[in-house]
Amino acid sequence: MMKDQSLRQSFLGPHSEDVFKASKIGFIGLGGGGSHIVQQWAHLGGGNFTIIDFDVIEATNLNRLVGATLEDVKNSELKTSIAKRVIKNINPDADVKVFNKPWQEVSDQLRDCDLIFGCVDSYQARRDLEIFCRRFLTPYIDIGMDVYEMENGYSISGQVIMSIPGSICMHCMQYLREDLLEKEAARYGDAGGKPQVVWPNGILASTAVGLAVQLLNPWHPNPPGSVYLEYDGVTNTINVSPRMEYLAHTQCHHFFNTEGMGDPFYLLRSKK
Amino acid sequence: MKIAFKMTDRFLKIVRTDLNRRHPYAAERVGFIACTVTPLPNEGWIIMANEYHPVADEDYLNDWTVGAMMGPAAIRKALQIAYSSGKSMFHVHMHEHSGRPRFSKVDLSESQKFIPDFWNVQPDIPHGTLLLSHNEVVGMCWVPDQPIIQSVTDITITGSPLLRFWRNA
Repeated sequence: MMKDQSLRQSFLGPHSEDVFKASKIGFIGLGGGGSHIVQQWAHLGGGNFTIIDFDVIEATNLNRLVGATLEDVKNSELKTSIAKRVIKNINPDADVKVFNKPWQEVSDQLRDCDLIFGCVDSYQARRDLEIFCRRFLTPYIDIGMDVYEMENGYSISGQVIMSIPGSICMHCMQYLREDLLEKEAARYGDAGGKPQVVWPNGILASTAVGLAVQLLNPWHPNPPGSVYLEYDGVTNTINVSPRMEYLAHTQCHHFFNTEGMGDPFYLLRSKK
Repeated sequence: MKIAFKMTDRFLKIVRTDLNRRHPYAAERVGFIACTVTPLPNEGWIIMANEYHPVADEDYLNDWTVGAMMGPAAIRKALQIAYSSGKSMFHVHMHEHSGRPRFSKVDLSESQKFIPDFWNVQPDIPHGTLLLSHNEVVGMCWVPDQPIIQSVTDITITGSPLLRFWRNA
């Protein structure tokens, strides 16, 4: 029998409550985007969270970090602590594993995740996360937004990408490109605080959660494969990237070699 | 102990297509999956399917008492793959029905005869056997230093949708 918390979402199917409870989900980055996603996943009934962020909250985060308070800023609270509090206030029984380190240092904790959300702020970080997810056959959902200064004001754009192992990747979609990665590496340390606002993060996070629900618990037919959605914050629209039309029948040529699976150092270590 | 097995939906389709081929005299087909394995942080393993190796037509024995009986050449070739690639090996076959399949007594007794042999060539990693039905997958696993054969606790078919088969589901 469904809990009261799940009754209004019973149309998602008789097993949806069990699916959300049992699924182990990784959340990398708990800032503007990630804080929305963990909150929504807790509301859905998520029971198994691995949350990773080494950062503490600052006053500049208060404009968008869901669940954060002025008191948290005064206490320089860890973003993971805020996220855990949000989750536990909704789902006291949820299993929340907290890691206050760069994800690469605790990546072994992500190996058996059913799905990983990446809310990181660089192309390099996205590339590293996608490579990790492909190694462990884990679907990866990425969100991000940017504010650009134009001649006559500002523009907001963003993306929601779902990268499913066996299907096309973020390189195939040309969201990740070598020239962008090189450009980013060249201005390393020079980025400063990028402009961010709460509502695009909310839109992108909600879209990402919708994709995750459909992936893990398909409640309507024809679930999409890999997805690349583009957000336009000026027109308030989300559309499938035009690039996807050309990739409809394409196979990924970046992650086709199964030799790259798993922990590449495991056997080397174990044989020492 | 958590033992998670993952493969893509595309990979599973390749396996099913092969197992569905008619054999000249055996009633069913079998194959081997070479897998990458990685330990989980506390306890357990994650096993990922890499390559499918069908058993060659000539490597079946003509034994009418079972659906398919592999000859020594089939086992030898699988051992060679494990030895030269460093992979974990999973035997695979299919039962022709929908719903959760169950290993028969013969399945388990025959598997017990040859799966531990993979430890002669790859001793530090688990090996096992998978059983498919038309729409589900179950597995058994021989884990180093474990006296009892383990069930594969989580099987994930990565694709869209993401299919998961939990032992206790």
